[in-house]
Amino acid sequence: MGPLIHLQPLDLVVSTMLVVAAGVISVLLRLGIGRRLAVAAVRTVIQLGLIGLVLEKIFALRQAAPVVLLVLLMIFFAGREAVKRTGRRYPSVYLDAWLAMAVSCLAVGGVVTQVVVGVHPWFDPQYVIPLLGMILGNSLTGVALGLDRFLEHLAVRRAEVELRLAFGATRAEALTPPLRDAMRTGMIPILNSMAAAGIVSLPGMMTGQILAGSPPLQAVAYQVVVMFMIAAAVAIGAMLVVLAAGRRLMDADGVLRLEGLQAR
Amino acid sequence: MTTLLECGPLSAKDGEGRTLFHGARLTLDEGRLALLEGPSGSGKSTLLRQVAALLEAPGASRRLEGEEYGPGRLARWRARVTLAAQDAPVLPGTVAWNLEFPFAFRHARRNECDPAAQRAALDGVGLERLPLDRDVATLSGGERHRLALARALLWDPPVLLADEPLAGLDPDRAALCFERLAEHAHRAGRAVLCVLHEGVMGFSGDRRLRLVDSRLEEA
Repeated sequence: MGPLIHLQPLDLVVSTMLVVAAGVISVLLRLGIGRRLAVAAVRTVIQLGLIGLVLEKIFALRQAAPVVLLVLLMIFFAGREAVKRTGRRYPSVYLDAWLAMAVSCLAVGGVVTQVVVGVHPWFDPQYVIPLLGMILGNSLTGVALGLDRFLEHLAVRRAEVELRLAFGATRAEALTPPLRDAMRTGMIPILNSMAAAGIVSLPGMMTGQILAGSPPLQAVAYQVVVMFMIAAAVAIGAMLVVLAAGRRLMDADGVLRLEGLQAR
Repeated sequence: MTTLLECGPLSAKDGEGRTLFHGARLTLDEGRLALLEGPSGSGKSTLLRQVAALLEAPGASRRLEGEEYGPGRLARWRARVTLAAQDAPVLPGTVAWNLEFPFAFRHARRNECDPAAQRAALDGVGLERLPLDRDVATLSGGERHRLALARALLWDPPVLLADEPLAGLDPDRAALCFERLAEHAHRAGRAVLCVLHEGVMGFSGDRRLRLVDSRLEEA
């Protein structure tokens, strides 16, 4: 295996021409997305550049505190983003999303980094940050889809929920159908990517490892770990957020409290 | 005459904050069919939903056969004081599923609901030709209302609260269904409180209640 090929400034200039080509096509076909493409391209460079600088700094420090702080920040932004993607909200929805993300991400991330990969020191940023980032990015989608579906079910299919309650369903019995509906919806993206992995696409992380010089089977092993951890994080995160929302929106005696539920 | 259900005081306001009713107390006697009347928007459905504990009723006590159902026991209460809600809600799935789903609940008073009983319940409301495996999405409005009534009668709660159960039925079928409600009400240990929709004529129960000027009174 040859040495790692480093990218030079000129390489970035060449790749910029590629995105310019996309822009030219947009202008020629009057797609009207030239401006958005330019903004997106600039954002990509700035955001990735900044996180690159931060990561360089954190890698160089090799201390626990900055890693923990960065992880907490990532959880904060992931929870906020998850709520932004739902069509309905209730007063404590941010708190519930943050708690669900934090618990699922720290539990799954903890097992993967400390037991499966077994990193030393325990906070080794080279492993901890990218792994937790992947968990968060995916469980964000699961939490957002699951929560959105759950709230929609309660609002749109309220008559069905109340029908069950009217015939004596307990809170758990009345909330089981919306919970199942929400979990199924939340799990679809990860189920799809697990089913397509290796056949339709080479997953991004595996591609990255191969580019960085890992033997393919090592990259595959990592990818399997990552897929499984994402599936677990999505399932745990979506379940927690939906259970929390259920408790907020229906009291222990099964009275629905949807006054606070607002469509956006 | 034995009092079966006591519930109150019940108070409610509408969406604009106007008082619908205040301090209402409801008692239902065993073996009686009571009709609840009142102009539209007077809060009849709200009252039924509060009695059924689907809506909050702060400070209200709920008693069935003298037994108090307080916080923590409301699911049990609803299994016994069951609301057949307005507009005949159904669950997606078959007719059979819609008849039998409550019998799987923890607080169900009995857990068996065999196909013969389901058939008899449908026949009783004039749905002899409706197959148990029909998808409820294909039912007409009238069929759906009768299915909802058949479910409530099959469930056989001590107290049945029926909110416009005859809506959308032609006079003959409405009469048949009302007869079933009256039969249910007149059995030992049973009572029915029924709201009839606007404009329906010629049905009389054993007792008439009116919700008027924010009070619940005998008519």
